[in-house]
Amino acid sequence: MPMKIAKATFATLTILFLVAPLIAILPLAFTSSVILTYPIPSWSLRWFEELFFADAWRRAIVNSLIIGTGTTLLATILGTAASLGLRNRLILFRGTMRTLFLLPMVVPAVVLGVGMQVLLAGFGLTNSYLGVIIAHTVVAVPFVVVSVTGALAGIDERVELAAQSLGAAPITVFRRITLPLAMPGVLSGAVLAFATSLDEVVLTLFVAGPNQRTLARQMFSSIRENISPAIAAAAFLFIVATVVIGLVVVLSRSMLAKRR
Amino acid sequence: MSAASSRTGRSLILLAPLLLFLIGFFVWPLFSMMSQAVSDPAVLKLLPRSAEVLADWDRKSPPSAAMQTALMEDLKAVDDDQALGDMVRRLNSARSGFRTLMGKTTSALDETANPPADLVSIDKRWEKPEFWLAIADALSPYTDRNLLAAVDFGRNAAGEIEHLPPDQSVNSVILARTFWIAGLVTFFCALIGFPYAIIAASLDGWKRDLMLGAVLLPLWTSLLVRTAAWFILLQEKGLINDLLLTLGIINSPLALIFNRTGVIIAMTHVLLPFMVLPIYSVLITIPKNLMPAAASLGAPPLRAFLRVLLPLSLRGVASGGLLVFISAIGYYITPALIGGPGDQMISSIIAFYATGSANWGMAGALGMVLLVATLVLYSVYARLSSEEPGRR
Amino acid sequence: MAEFIRFERITKFYGPLCVVENLDLGIEKGEFVSLLGPSGSGKTTLLMMLAGFEQPTSGNILLDGTAINAVPTHKRDMGVVFQSYALFPHMSVGENIAFPLQMRGIGKAEVDERVKRALGMVQLSALVDRRPSQLSGGQQQRVALARALVFEPRVVLMDEPLGALDKNLREQMQLDIRDLHRRLGLTIVFVTHDQSEALTMSDRVAVFNKGRIEQIGTPRQVYDEPATRFVAEFIGETNLVEGVVEAVQGQEATVRLPSGAQIVSAVSGTVARGQSVFLSIRPERVDLSEARGEARNVLETEVTDSVYQGDHLRVQLQNATHPLIAKLGRRSREFPPGTKVFAAFSAGDCRVIAP
Repeated sequence: MPMKIAKATFATLTILFLVAPLIAILPLAFTSSVILTYPIPSWSLRWFEELFFADAWRRAIVNSLIIGTGTTLLATILGTAASLGLRNRLILFRGTMRTLFLLPMVVPAVVLGVGMQVLLAGFGLTNSYLGVIIAHTVVAVPFVVVSVTGALAGIDERVELAAQSLGAAPITVFRRITLPLAMPGVLSGAVLAFATSLDEVVLTLFVAGPNQRTLARQMFSSIRENISPAIAAAAFLFIVATVVIGLVVVLSRSMLAKRR
Repeated sequence: MSAASSRTGRSLILLAPLLLFLIGFFVWPLFSMMSQAVSDPAVLKLLPRSAEVLADWDRKSPPSAAMQTALMEDLKAVDDDQALGDMVRRLNSARSGFRTLMGKTTSALDETANPPADLVSIDKRWEKPEFWLAIADALSPYTDRNLLAAVDFGRNAAGEIEHLPPDQSVNSVILARTFWIAGLVTFFCALIGFPYAIIAASLDGWKRDLMLGAVLLPLWTSLLVRTAAWFILLQEKGLINDLLLTLGIINSPLALIFNRTGVIIAMTHVLLPFMVLPIYSVLITIPKNLMPAAASLGAPPLRAFLRVLLPLSLRGVASGGLLVFISAIGYYITPALIGGPGDQMISSIIAFYATGSANWGMAGALGMVLLVATLVLYSVYARLSSEEPGRR
Repeated sequence: MAEFIRFERITKFYGPLCVVENLDLGIEKGEFVSLLGPSGSGKTTLLMMLAGFEQPTSGNILLDGTAINAVPTHKRDMGVVFQSYALFPHMSVGENIAFPLQMRGIGKAEVDERVKRALGMVQLSALVDRRPSQLSGGQQQRVALARALVFEPRVVLMDEPLGALDKNLREQMQLDIRDLHRRLGLTIVFVTHDQSEALTMSDRVAVFNKGRIEQIGTPRQVYDEPATRFVAEFIGETNLVEGVVEAVQGQEATVRLPSGAQIVSAVSGTVARGQSVFLSIRPERVDLSEARGEARNVLETEVTDSVYQGDHLRVQLQNATHPLIAKLGRRSREFPPGTKVFAAFSAGDCRVIAP
């Protein structure tokens, strides 16, 4: 019995440690004060106004959406195509390529950032949207590859053979069978790619110019230079978006599971 | 057979775009970063004539007239002030005094009305072989200077590798600090994460979902948001100090931010999911009746844990630990925002060299150290996690 | 009668491994042929080559007189039923069955009509809108069958389609498929490793071993007249006894056993005097009695064990040199261990097999 109580206490405290910081920041988004402390003097939406109407924040949000969309498209297309290619077991260096595709997840962002800045400067791509999208795609693509290869591995190859035998040409098999079955994986890969781009700071620091300042980059310098409750408002939006995205991913996974 | 080969062709066409993209924008940047670390063209680019003449010099005798003439002509030909600045900085770092010497020399050479006969007439220091030695050593397009400096070594006047004096030995301190902080974070993650995973795996229903959800929510939440949250919680008038003051546990606010404590707390929070999830995924593959079986064979609970559950779950702890450690040594954002000047890790120093002082050579060299450490640890991790569970 | 499907000297290698070796086989239109053999004997590979999923390393496959080696799967017009059913998980039952019709550009009204008919044929009309994951194994199996038949393929290929079903359902489906075959006049090539399934359903059975066909014939032929030791042992249970040929008279041979007993037996293939051979004696063809009867072949034995198995009595016997098993009808009397009995069988109930 005391063992049981100890376990329950430990689990509760750890859950508190994991979740409480995220919850504690939420009410501060609605403070009327200019400092980020409790108790909150009175409620106000002024920091959301700041977020959406102050020039720096508004441009950062727009930039994040532009760059996030570009990254999502590029990473999803490249990652999905490559995952389809990796299905073929006859391909030479299949394992090596797979490792290469996942490696950007492992390499420290600062190291990649230094190299990326040197390289993109050579192409004249620093301080450009394209440069930032390319940099974000490099780190977002592993998530797409993991997600799509997972979905593809779950497809019974005999289902595709059956479609062929029933009269479907290879392209039709792909369109009617493979792609629909891999779709939940592609979608959750795309969501993860967008989330990666949204949260990316370090590469952005190295390759983006003042015109490509993203929301995450803006939050970073705001915490560093003059912290204000606008941070809490931005965090509020992030956490809400996370919960929504999380639900989408969970639902699409369970959709996938139900089909099997 | 033709069907198989056309399928292979199709697969290659599908793989090619990402392969080329990553070679161009992932592998190549890493290589160009590393080549920054070893390339050293600043001096050779501006002094091609001196390079030819200096190749025949015995490195001991006083400078010949030919050497002085060649250097004067090289310096007169320079019209790029930034390149000149780069070269002077490079030479000055090898031999202090070059900055004033070069400044004096170039302005004297600019006097077209009264051209100096030779360099010694401009400044007596040009007689000394030391300055010429520094130029000669800097003429190679490649250098190991940055790589040696990254681990606090350098070459002395005779070209031998030796430890840098303590006042210049900052990098090894930072490297040690990086590994120490990463180790501490890994330790705390294991301390909390291992029992947490065991408890989660032993439960079912909503309790298990709650425990896993509590791990996944922070994992999915933006890193910046989590860091911002800790920033707000840990500050002097933050929620934690408020709470402790109200409860009367402390009399004056604790210093929790801009120091080591804050960095460790925030990084442990950020990386804890990477410890819990691998352990959990190993634990759920262990049959639930194993512990009762051990008990039925006469093992008391602690012994059963030590002999059955612990050995089976060690793989998970090892991969979780590696994952946390790998992530921790490359961390930038959390130490940069929560830590003080004494808590900056290797990533911060790399960023400083790159963006703060435009010393790409040092940034590249330190980046190479971090990259190699990361890749070595990752290959251990990959080997560990590719082994089939249960095969031991 | 012209052959509809012809395998001509088919050889298939996977790397250095030969899975089908120089194989010839002809199948007639409307015939139900089973490819029977242990796993790895090449039977599934042969089916996959017929479907176009695999290419033979050498040799030709002819359909109705024309070589189809170069024809891609989707143009071969063969309905394939897989062991795992391979239903499309993201389509309903109706959509699954409509798929091959849509691939052939058939109009919507006719598709609906034919899907309805196919579902009626397999008695699943009520489940048209269900997803495959909502069906039982037997129902999935019948959807797969309907999907493979609805477009009236020239040949129906089945790869162990009943392997995942439990025993009762499997036996029911065997009869259903046999019935469909007769009613629709289908040409069916059926792969199985279950010998009783092959005997139940087929017009002819091809017994595979190590990439070759050991014997092909009607179920009665392969059971009663096994050509090789492998066939005798793989199909049903048998007693194999070594002996030496003493004399050959037409379709019969006299074989001397090590115990000295002489057995007169029917012959598969050709044997010569003095040759060492095996005798295959089916256990259910052996009669036991305590008196030496009038039968041509009689062995003196002693009962070592006797097991009641419901539908038959299984008696283990020991002769001077070798064991023997007899299966007796349930009306037979009991034989307690130790009883001395005479095991008798006619010449037609045993076969001489060259080793």
